[in-house]
Amino acid sequence: MNKIKNFFMSYIDAIAVNIREHRDNMPQIFKLSIADLKKTYTGAALGWAWAVIKPIVTIFVYWFAIAIGLRQNSAVEGVPYILWLICGIVPWFFMGEAITGGTECIRRYSYLVTKMKYPVTTIPTFNNLSKLVVHAIISAVVIIIFWFAGYPPSIYLLQLPLYMLMMFMLMNAWSLFAGLVSAMSKDFANLVKSLNIAVFWLSGILWNIENVKDNELIYSILMLNPVTFICYGYRNCFIYETWFFDQPKRCLYFLFWYALMALMSMWAYKKLRKEIPDVL
Amino acid sequence: MSENTVISFDNVTKTYKLYSSTRKRLLGIFFKKIKYKKKNAVDGMSFTIDRGESVALYGKNGAGKSTVLKMITGVAFPTSGEIKVNGRVSALLELTSGFDMEFTGRQNIYLKGHILGLKDSEIAQLEEAIIDFSELNDYIDQPVRTYSSGMRARLGFAINVNIRPEILIVDEALSVGDAAFRNKCQKKVDEIIHKDNVTLLFVTHQIAVAESFCKRGIVMKDGKIVYDGPIQEASKLYREIFNAK
Repeated sequence: MNKIKNFFMSYIDAIAVNIREHRDNMPQIFKLSIADLKKTYTGAALGWAWAVIKPIVTIFVYWFAIAIGLRQNSAVEGVPYILWLICGIVPWFFMGEAITGGTECIRRYSYLVTKMKYPVTTIPTFNNLSKLVVHAIISAVVIIIFWFAGYPPSIYLLQLPLYMLMMFMLMNAWSLFAGLVSAMSKDFANLVKSLNIAVFWLSGILWNIENVKDNELIYSILMLNPVTFICYGYRNCFIYETWFFDQPKRCLYFLFWYALMALMSMWAYKKLRKEIPDVL
Repeated sequence: MSENTVISFDNVTKTYKLYSSTRKRLLGIFFKKIKYKKKNAVDGMSFTIDRGESVALYGKNGAGKSTVLKMITGVAFPTSGEIKVNGRVSALLELTSGFDMEFTGRQNIYLKGHILGLKDSEIAQLEEAIIDFSELNDYIDQPVRTYSSGMRARLGFAINVNIRPEILIVDEALSVGDAAFRNKCQKKVDEIIHKDNVTLLFVTHQIAVAESFCKRGIVMKDGKIVYDGPIQEASKLYREIFNAK
């Protein structure tokens, strides 16, 4: 009985530490994410332009390969394929980078762990926050693109910040878990890199998961994927004009994933926090 | 712990887990069965240091000095035992690292300040003194990755002694740079420990420098304290241990 109680208390303690470290270090988190942004985008001649050029090139390449190469340019549920693609791939730019970047964040900022006393749980946060800033700018561009294409902002766009927040929270939990584990060993980062490709192709970013609806098993497995939830959530805002609360089952799946990720990150924190400075 | 105590170690042990490969270390996270060797870098150490004291820490390489300093800094954690530290610690551990290589010297000053929780205005007040002390002049606006190791060490030292520490930890740091800069560093350390009542913990192999700063010496061997007392006695013992190898 006592053992079970201690087990639960240790998780509650870890969560409390996590919250406290975030609350007490807000200014540092913002300052470090700005520093991270500067580091990413200064030092190249085109600087900030890369934040926009890279996604445009990627979108163009996928659109070209699929719409021109594979001749799958038919409208998806009444929307031109290119617009449907943009809606799903823009959140993926954030998530894909957070999945791999989050895995490397603690190793990348090892001097914060081994050379000074710094709250480790906030490293994934500021790392993802800097990417979220770029994501928010690109999202604004997407709104403008849709407007020009004849889809002015609707009331459903109001839920976009919510989806953004859900995405951010999920990726933070993941990054803390993955960052801690990969600080122990580089193998984990390589594993994640290969899985990242699988996640991309199985998440309904390039192709519509509704296409496989006749196979119920595959359809529901694909719909379980939290990345799919976010991508289709963005499409809810721009294309489908659906509220998130009209899809309660999907929201529940997502919450399950979030709870799982959060638990995994707390487990990793409890287990590895004290060992990481010794091995980094 | 009395009011005057700034650092206290109570039966502190630090055990490193040594796996035979990184693959085993990764598996060791998930499975308890994976075998590893244990090495006690610090073994049941107890001591207290009072405010304003200057203590030299002697010991051969591998005696556990750096581990002790890391634990005081809060970077590493003890496996068992209790450590209490009371005050802002500024550690001159491995001066050449701890910078963000892509940032300029000036940006690094701000970054370090922010991490320590200082406001922009507070850092701005210290900025001039830090740049002056580091003697980097125009180089201060160049990325740190272009600096030589001597320049990095100078900047590191300048930042750490100028942020008004309460506890100053110096690990071989006074052996950086040329003789002139070394003298300047020693003078600066001397100044802050006397004027601001800063507590100093000093690790060195240079007995003469240690004796000029410290009244108390601790000699470590294989993770244990073998002597804790007046500096002259400690120096004598350390010399004996060192020559006996």
